[in-house]
Amino acid sequence: MTAELDHKPLLTHEVGSLDKPGWRVKAYAGKPLDDKDLEEARAWGERLTVPEYSKLLDLLRHAPFSKEQKAEIQRWSSLYALRLEESAGLDVVYDGEQQRTEMYDWAVNHTNGFERRGSVRAFDNKYYSKAAVVGPISLREPFHNKEFSYLVSVADAELKVPVTGAYTIADWSFDERYDVDTDLREPAKDRRRKRQAARRDFVLEVSRNLIRPNLQALIGLGARWIQVDEPGASTEADELDLFVDSFNASVEGLDATFSTHLCFSDYNLFFPAIERMSQCRQYAVGFANYDSRELGTSDDKRPGYQVIKKFRDLSYKPALGLGVLDIHSDFIESPELVRDRVLYAVKVFDDPKRIHVTPDCGLRTRSWKVAYEKLRNMTAGVELARKELGLPNTA
Amino acid sequence: MVAATRGIDRGRVGADAVDQAFAEDQAAFLRVQQKAGMDFFSDGLLKWQDIFRPLMGALGAKPHTLVRWFDTNTFFREPELVGKVPSVKNPEGVVAAASVPRPRVATLPSPYMFSRAAHTDQDRNRLMVDLAAHVLRPAIDAAVAGGAELIHLEDPWLGYFGIKGSDWAPLGEALQMLHRDLKATLAFHVYFGDAGPHIAQLLRLPVDAIGVDLIETDVDELGSGWDKGLVAGIINGRSSILESLDNTVEVARHLADTVRPRNLYLTSNCELGYLPTGVAEQKVLRLGEAAHKAKELVSV
Repeated sequence: MTAELDHKPLLTHEVGSLDKPGWRVKAYAGKPLDDKDLEEARAWGERLTVPEYSKLLDLLRHAPFSKEQKAEIQRWSSLYALRLEESAGLDVVYDGEQQRTEMYDWAVNHTNGFERRGSVRAFDNKYYSKAAVVGPISLREPFHNKEFSYLVSVADAELKVPVTGAYTIADWSFDERYDVDTDLREPAKDRRRKRQAARRDFVLEVSRNLIRPNLQALIGLGARWIQVDEPGASTEADELDLFVDSFNASVEGLDATFSTHLCFSDYNLFFPAIERMSQCRQYAVGFANYDSRELGTSDDKRPGYQVIKKFRDLSYKPALGLGVLDIHSDFIESPELVRDRVLYAVKVFDDPKRIHVTPDCGLRTRSWKVAYEKLRNMTAGVELARKELGLPNTA
Repeated sequence: MVAATRGIDRGRVGADAVDQAFAEDQAAFLRVQQKAGMDFFSDGLLKWQDIFRPLMGALGAKPHTLVRWFDTNTFFREPELVGKVPSVKNPEGVVAAASVPRPRVATLPSPYMFSRAAHTDQDRNRLMVDLAAHVLRPAIDAAVAGGAELIHLEDPWLGYFGIKGSDWAPLGEALQMLHRDLKATLAFHVYFGDAGPHIAQLLRLPVDAIGVDLIETDVDELGSGWDKGLVAGIINGRSSILESLDNTVEVARHLADTVRPRNLYLTSNCELGYLPTGVAEQKVLRLGEAAHKAKELVSV
C-alpha cells in the first residue's frame, strides 16, 4: 500500500549527492586543513546563513579530530548541504549524502556478505569502488538512520531519502558467490543460462535481505518519501524485468511513498517492463544530458525529452521528476532554458501536477558554486514556467 | 592515479601529481606484465579516459554526450564527428611511453565501432572508411613507428549489437586501408558478444588475426583450420574470480588442437579496465602462467 504523492504542481527537488566540501573530506581523512578550507567553511556558512557556523570554524581549528568530532563535522556538512538546497529554493531536500562515503560503497559497507575489491573507472576521471558478494547477504545495521534522524531535526523543507536500489547494488558488484563454476569448455548457452539464474538469485537476495529491512527501519523513524536510486537499472537490456521484480520485492506492502531515479540510459528500454512497477509513484529521470541548449518548447527544440510521452502513458499515472540540469557540465542552464524544458513536459503531460523538476542526477561531480547556481536557476526557471501556466507563484 | 585525478578535478593537486601517479601506476603495470612473461607489452591505456579520447584530442574535436559503454557501468563521451573527417596530424596520444618494453601492442577502436559510436550526420559506412583513412591509419602508423608490433582493434559493437550483411563490405574496405603495407600484425577483436554467428565473415576480413570473447562464444563454434591468427579472449575481464589455471590451459590447448589458427594469442575477453588494479594484476599473472604452460604442452 504505497502512499500517494500529493504535492503541488512543478514540485522541485534534488536527486541525491552533492560534492563534499574540502574541510569535511580532509577532516574525516585526518589530513591537515589549510586557510582555504577554513575560508570555504566561513564563506558558505555566511552565504547560506547556517546558524552558529562559527562553532564549526572553531572546531576545524582544533585538529586532530576524535571520532566524535569527525562525526560532528559530518553533521555540519549535512547541515550546510541542506541549507544550500533550501536556500536554492527547492521544495524537497536532503543533505547531498554528506555522511555517506558514496552511494554504493556506503550500502555494501553496512552489509554482511560483501568484500571490497577496489576502484574502477566510471567515466572521464571518475572512479567508483566495487565489492564482491562472497556470502549470504544481510543488513549489518540500518545505514541511513543516523543521518535521517539528524536531518529531521534540522530541516525546514520536506525530506526525501535517497536509497541505493537492489538492482544497482548487484550490478555494480562482482559475483563470487552465485556464479562461480565457469568452464569455458561448456556450451556458451549453458553458461549463459546459469549466469542469468545466478543473477536473479543475487538481485532478489539484495532486495529482500538488504534494501527492504533498511527501508523498514527508515519508515519506522518517520520517513515518508523514499527514492530508490537505480542508475544501473538499464545496464542489461534483457534484465529490465528483473529490475522491476527487485523494486517490487523491496517496497511491496511498505507504508511510504516510493519513487525511483534513473539516469544515463536509453529510457525506451524501460518499456514495457515498468508497466508492472505501479508502486513507484515518481520517476526522477535525467534528460538534460541528451537535450539541446536552445530555447523553445517544440519537439525539435527538445530532443532530449521525446521519451517522456512513454512515462505519461503509464496506466498508474506516476509523476515524472524531469531532469533539467546536466550534471556532467559546468554549463549553467538559464532560467529560460529550464522554463522551456518544463513547459514542454507540461504540454506533453497536460497535467502540471505530474511534473516535478529536478537535476538529471546527483550533483556531486560539480563544485558547490556551480551546483548552487544551477539549482537557483532551476527554481527560477520553474517560477517562470508557473507564471506562464498561470499557476500560483511560490517564491 | 585515482586519488590524483580526483584531486586535480577538484583543484586540490596540480598536474605534476597526476603525472607522477600515472608514472608510478604504469611502472607497476609494466612490472606485472614482465613478471607474467607477456609476449607483447601494453601501457594499459591508463591515461585514456575512454577508447576514443586520444583520437578525438588528435582531431581537435570535442567529446560529446556521456553514453553508457554497452552493458557496463562505464561511460564514454560520444565522439562528435559532424561534417567531413579531417586528417589526424599528430596522434602522439596513442603512442606508448618510452618506458614500455618492446614488442608492444597498441589498442585502438575498430573503424566499425568508431563509426557506430560517433555522433554524426554522415552515412556511417562512409564515415567508417573515412575514419580508417584519416584517423586510424595515421594513428596506427604512429604506433608502429613507436614500436608497436601488434595492432589490436577493439570491436565490442559488432559483438554486442551485431552487424548488417551490407556492412561487411565497407568494413573490409576500411580494414584493407589499415592492413595495406602495415609492418605489424593487425588483429580485429570482437567482444561483449557471441562471435560464433559471424566467424565465416570475420575470417574473410583483411586482417592477420581475429579476436573472440570466449566468455560469450562457444569454443566449438570457431571451426577449424584457420588461415589467420586467433586472439582468444580466455580470461574474463569482467569477473573478479581468478580463472583456474588448469582449465585455462586446457581450453588453450583445445583451441590449438581444433581451431589450429596460424598463431594463437591468449588474452582477456575484453579490456581489464572493469577490474580494480589488484584483481587485474592477478589476472595478467594467471594469463602469463597459463600461456607458459600451454606453450610447453603444445610444443611437446
